[in-house]
Amino acid sequence: MKNLESKFEDIYNTNYPKVQRLCLGYTNGDIMLSKDITQDVFIKVWENLASFRNESSISTWIYRITVNTCLVNLRNKKTATISNHLNTMESIDDTSLEEVKSLQLKQLYSCINTLNKDDKSIILLELENVPQKEIANIMGLSHEVIRVRVYRIKEKLTKCVKK
Amino acid sequence: MTTFEDLKTHWQNQPEQETPKGGSKQIIDKLNFIKKKQQITSVVLSVTAIVLTVFFFYVMAYKNTTAFFALLLMISSLFIRISIEFFSINKLKQINITVTHASFKSQVINYYKKRIKIHYIITPVLFSLYIIGFVMLLPFFKAGVSSWFYTYILVSGAVFLIIIAMYVKKQIQKELRLIKNIQK
Repeated sequence: MKNLESKFEDIYNTNYPKVQRLCLGYTNGDIMLSKDITQDVFIKVWENLASFRNESSISTWIYRITVNTCLVNLRNKKTATISNHLNTMESIDDTSLEEVKSLQLKQLYSCINTLNKDDKSIILLELENVPQKEIANIMGLSHEVIRVRVYRIKEKLTKCVKK
Repeated sequence: MTTFEDLKTHWQNQPEQETPKGGSKQIIDKLNFIKKKQQITSVVLSVTAIVLTVFFFYVMAYKNTTAFFALLLMISSLFIRISIEFFSINKLKQINITVTHASFKSQVINYYKKRIKIHYIITPVLFSLYIIGFVMLLPFFKAGVSSWFYTYILVSGAVFLIIIAMYVKKQIQKELRLIKNIQK
């Protein structure tokens, strides 16, 4: 039991930032909501850790739990729309570089939010630099399908951000 | 000119959120606390079931078959609905969250489709049985209690049934919305 607890602690400390960043993508940049979902993800990780059989890498396993948890936990939550973010950008004249970066990030969140659930998961994993073979393993789709979809979503996302 | 690689860099350079100190221990403690709460709920429900059964046999002793049947309808429909809810919650917990997203999604959709069937078919039947039982008991209340208490039973019974009906309606709407949201 102690051994499992320390293993969980390691997994938690190593993976918390990337899980939360992924959750931020699902919540349109809502930090509080993403923290709640991240906690749910790690609850599931702890509940299933004893049955983890190393059939996939630990990161693939955690990403699967994250993507699946986000599917059931996000129920019509109201998040800021893209036009809200863009209006904020236009209304600020003398913004610092940091503020501009933050607003651009919000715009990226908004564009991600316009995608359907599966596309959102695929592109968030791509943004996290997860290899496409691993994305296929997480999503339960073929490598070829992922390759085509990543290409299509990249185009869509880039176009949306440029608007 | 913004390329996807720019977006990726932007994404990866966003400020990192701090990992909560002792967060893993907090999660383990929280789960232990939830388990204890679930055990308490099970005890409370078991005691309620025992009290209802004792009350049932007590009423049976009067050998009034109509009252007996009416109570049987009310208690059993309530008991069946609560059992279905527990079974259902347990089923949701049993869905393996570590499988691929495609497999998980199809399991969750199947689960909610079954839930909708429960809401549309089983719940109305049980709800009707409960109302029939309640209406069958009314003459006994009228004969046995004062007129103001009878009115109280009538009004509170009706209010209770309306609240339950509204709750069930809201639950169905919520689960329909959820299924639609998952399929998006």
